[in-house]
Amino acid sequence: MEKPFILHMLTTAKNLSPFDVNMAMDAGWVSAVPYINVEPSEVQGLVQDAIFSRSAKNLKRTGIFIGGRDTKQAMDMLKTAKRSMFAPFEVSVFADPSGAFTTAAGMVAAVERELRTKFNTTLEGKNILALGGTGPVGQAAAVIAAQAGAHVRIIGRQLEKAQQVADMCSNEFGDGKITITAGADADKAEYIKTADVVFATGAAGIELLSAALVASAPQLKVAADVNAVPPSGIAGVDAFHNGTPIEGSNSGAVGIGALAIGNVKYQAQNRLLKKMLISEKPVYLHFEHAFEVARDYIQSNAK
Amino acid sequence: MAKRSILHMLDPMPNNSPFDINMALDAGFDVLMPYNNVKLDSVRGLTQDAIFSRGPAGVKRTGIFIGGRDLGLAMDMLNASKQAMVPSFEVSVFADPSGAFTTAAALVTCVEKELKDKHGKELKDCNAIVFGGTGPVGIATGVLASLAGAETTLTDHLSIDTALDISKEYNRRFGATLKGTLAGSEADKARLVANADIIFCTAKAGIQVLSADVLKEAMRLKVAGDINAVAPPGIEGIKNDDFGAPLIHAINAQGAVGIGALAVGDIKYQLQHALLQSMLETDKPLYIDFRYAFDKAREMEFVLHADD
Repeated sequence: MEKPFILHMLTTAKNLSPFDVNMAMDAGWVSAVPYINVEPSEVQGLVQDAIFSRSAKNLKRTGIFIGGRDTKQAMDMLKTAKRSMFAPFEVSVFADPSGAFTTAAGMVAAVERELRTKFNTTLEGKNILALGGTGPVGQAAAVIAAQAGAHVRIIGRQLEKAQQVADMCSNEFGDGKITITAGADADKAEYIKTADVVFATGAAGIELLSAALVASAPQLKVAADVNAVPPSGIAGVDAFHNGTPIEGSNSGAVGIGALAIGNVKYQAQNRLLKKMLISEKPVYLHFEHAFEVARDYIQSNAK
Repeated sequence: MAKRSILHMLDPMPNNSPFDINMALDAGFDVLMPYNNVKLDSVRGLTQDAIFSRGPAGVKRTGIFIGGRDLGLAMDMLNASKQAMVPSFEVSVFADPSGAFTTAAALVTCVEKELKDKHGKELKDCNAIVFGGTGPVGIATGVLASLAGAETTLTDHLSIDTALDISKEYNRRFGATLKGTLAGSEADKARLVANADIIFCTAKAGIQVLSADVLKEAMRLKVAGDINAVAPPGIEGIKNDDFGAPLIHAINAQGAVGIGALAVGDIKYQLQHALLQSMLETDKPLYIDFRYAFDKAREMEFVLHADD
């Protein structure tokens, strides 16, 4: 008899995100079991405990999800989990701290779609400002976009912090193969003059790009905002916008709001959770894989 | 409609063991509920909360599992849970902290079988030494061997006081007759091995406790069982899959055989699976500790590689 699907859900926080629990059950996992307040040092023990009570065949029906809030920590836990296993005692692992990896993937894939459909171009060589970009979503979006060939600048209130985050993104998440730069929020009026794309990934309810700055952007094409709580992060972009022209833009830029991004995020997370269920070989999933499936979804939806 | 079966998994640690989670779901429980950082004095309340919301038919579809790392605490929690039941509102309770109870039951069952098959002996005829005897698996193993009549000694590798205290405590708890001693040096080990009919090695993973040199001192050794699956094995020369293979370094003990960690693990797996299933099938509530697990293991038919 085939054994039930179990997803062991690890988080460093004191609770799992109910969002992720719903997503896991809806993707087809039969049992989703929480492990909370998990220290990174406990990952090896938990993973090894999980793999030794099922045969190789039934381990295909077993998975590990890594939540939490911190991207670097989640990536480290993913690596530790992978290192703790050996063939044939291996299970799939998916890291998506705060949903940031799939949110970032959804945002970048939606931006890429708008660049293609409205401006007949790609992410390659575009100047991107990641406003409020030092948080989990901003980091992952910056790395995904840079890996697709964009020049990304992470903008934060403190230049020093933004620089640290940019360096970590380039070296840790990008393996040193990408270079993400940093800038101070105080200088964004200058940077906006050469920006093709803006990501707004700051805290909810803070306007990161004013109407005046939108108007002053001569080559802005797409502005994406993950903030669903008014006021919006980018003046003129509301949560429902999905390739909608931004009022007040002099360059004909379009906006993508939180709900449009959320839809692609949902699809990407669903696809990755399903991929773990059906994959013959164990898969280790993070922001790169989230972007792949987000792109797949957008392509299949375009047909 | 039949109610879905629920296993309430109580654990004094910050998290449950994923091993047990897999086992519980695979044994047929529909819903697993983890309860973490559970204190002994909360067990009564949690148990009574669990029994009173489902009615007499529903309680048969309800069980309690007790995990953790500590043998004594798990036994106390099992007893507290049992005492909290009210007639006709009773659910089965299974304690298996760190899997130690089912591991110990499997280990002693395997050794008993080889003792009988290869040497025609019973546990009560034998002198048994438990190396790494002061951890959860070691203590449970020692108590089982002692209660089955073997002259059993628990050893600690650092402190004779620890070995003596633990022997005394568990003799009082379970009516066993354990002795305690120090097995720190090679000379200590050689002296103990020389008089042993049975060796249980329940020390930490990845540490060799008995070298070929020490094993050479064994004169009347019949069966040695090792639960350490991480190289090097606890007993030199034992392989993980061994089940009654000659113990090559015990050159002065004729016919001595070894049992390796994966062989014990395979039996442990089947035992834990059967015990979890029995909680769902039973008409009367079961209270499962390592002694119950051992009784069950002795009457079970085991197959090789059950999960394939």
